[in-house]
Amino acid sequence: MNTKIKRLPQSVLILTCLLSFGAEGAPDTPKNMHQLFEDNCASCHGSDLGGFIAPALNADKLKGRSSTSLRSLIMTGSFDTLMPPFFGRLSDDEIRGLVKYLQSTPKLANPAWTIDDIKASIKVYVKDESTLPAKPTYQINSMDDVIGVAARGKYGRGAGSKAVFINSVTHKQIGEVATGTAAHIIDYNPANPRWAYVKTDTAEIFKIDLYSMQAVRSVKTGFNGPGLGVSRDGKYIMAGSFVPHNAVILNADTLEPLKTFELEGLDPDGKMVSSDSGMILGTPFDDIFAIALENAGQVWVVDLKEGFPVTKIEKVGRHLHDAFLTHGGRKLMIAAYDDNIVAAIDLKDRKIIKKLDAGCVPHVGGGAAVEVDGRTLGFGTNFGDCDKTVVSVWDLDKMEVVKQVPVAGGTESPAAHANAPYVAVDIISKDRRARTIQLIDKKSLEVVKTLDVGGHAYFPEYSADGKFLYVSAGYSGDEVVIYDSVSLEKVASLPMESPAGIFSHGRVRYMTRGLSPDEMKGAKP
Amino acid sequence: MRVFALSGLLLINLLFAHNAIAASIFAGQAKAAAVCSQCHGINRPSADAPFPSLAGRDAAYLKTALKQYRDKTRKSEIMNAMAGSLSDDDISNVATYYARLKP
Repeated sequence: MNTKIKRLPQSVLILTCLLSFGAEGAPDTPKNMHQLFEDNCASCHGSDLGGFIAPALNADKLKGRSSTSLRSLIMTGSFDTLMPPFFGRLSDDEIRGLVKYLQSTPKLANPAWTIDDIKASIKVYVKDESTLPAKPTYQINSMDDVIGVAARGKYGRGAGSKAVFINSVTHKQIGEVATGTAAHIIDYNPANPRWAYVKTDTAEIFKIDLYSMQAVRSVKTGFNGPGLGVSRDGKYIMAGSFVPHNAVILNADTLEPLKTFELEGLDPDGKMVSSDSGMILGTPFDDIFAIALENAGQVWVVDLKEGFPVTKIEKVGRHLHDAFLTHGGRKLMIAAYDDNIVAAIDLKDRKIIKKLDAGCVPHVGGGAAVEVDGRTLGFGTNFGDCDKTVVSVWDLDKMEVVKQVPVAGGTESPAAHANAPYVAVDIISKDRRARTIQLIDKKSLEVVKTLDVGGHAYFPEYSADGKFLYVSAGYSGDEVVIYDSVSLEKVASLPMESPAGIFSHGRVRYMTRGLSPDEMKGAKP
Repeated sequence: MRVFALSGLLLINLLFAHNAIAASIFAGQAKAAAVCSQCHGINRPSADAPFPSLAGRDAAYLKTALKQYRDKTRKSEIMNAMAGSLSDDDISNVATYYARLKP
């Protein structure tokens, strides 16, 4: 049975007509309006009005848009996206004032957020960490079984915004930590299983004690930006921002900032640009961080020693974004949106090895790699904004394309596990397909099953034992759905407000999803 | 050909009549997802939302209220616009769907 779900409802149009007769009134100053923007919109649209996970909203971008339609959009939200309805949360005068402010204000200059600002933003919730329990306060066999879900909350802030932790053997929630604004990334300390780090869309990082399920400290590293990595020794965190264009290395224990980095450099076309921070990764291979400069198309390798020296790898690709590791963490596979390639980088020689075809607008998410018949195969998702929608499969030893597997639409994040037969990819195309997850057989490299999860299904993740597949039903599903990874039968569902990224604690053991923990043996120092 | 098509239609009608409740809840869920859930949630509204929860509300009440919003005999700028796009069947389906949800 195929009930057609209506896209933009007529009612929005009707509303648009209705509202055009409303009274005009702009009570507030630009300063007040900017504060209103900060408090309601900036976590997604960017504090500089330049866009972040949602589109830019400034005079240039909004040229030609009617203020009435913008006002309706703010009131009703946008059905196919994360944009919530602000009717009842903001007054009509506030909405009108915001529209006027955004239509008349150019993108703002890169705001300052210095090492002193970062230092001053540290909040301590548990003063004496020796008072924390010595082991988990709940029943769990191994901390690897913890799965964290970034619950965004409908409005990207407020009571619904939290990191939710689940025991992936029992599928029961074991704890949750409020994050104020939408949680985006959850990372785990590879050296001590009790610590997790959660980064929000407003660039706060919470250090979380998983044993007692509470935040012990937090720090604000910028205004927006998801980049977060933890070093292999668990001593350092690196965070990168979209607003402002900087990155910072923190002490993983105290969250004290140690060094900031201005992100700018020559892009592949020879232009000097200031750059957003893309992915940041620590690697089991070495005491380093790798960070992508999105707009400059460079990868910087930062050595974790006195002065934190940087090696710059230039001309990696146009508009870099995310990446994953292979070969014990020595090789980095990084996606370039505008070149439609994934570049393989050797972190030992600090050189580009090769650039591989990667579909249209590659977004590899956390990446996936599996060993099949003696070969290590990497899987690359991509937004697929073109005729051909495929998932790329690469031979990571030979660094060549093995196959481009046709799938139903654009994809954003692959999941794999050494013990599970399928690689799961989330179809994100904005129609009924967004409800689905497709499963690619590791051996035949063909789609063998489509799961109708519901909502906007994304960010699949396997439990650490590989027995279960977790999927977020997203902003229109409001639940996390759990499947048996072999039979693909639904086994459980957990209600949650706008769940997004899912992060298994097992990731610290297998580095990249799909690899066996044994893969890392040769890589330890 | 025509006879065949007609009898096919009849058959479909019969099938639907047989499963009337199941079909309308499914259609109601789809309509709720497309029209109502943005504010009221597919199960319940956001913890931070100013919108009332619809789960478990009396179906007859929901139908009456939606029809009044549609006819504009009950005033609400946003609900008059939202309900304006709903047919009688839509209203019945959506009301049945939400009424049967556990609050």
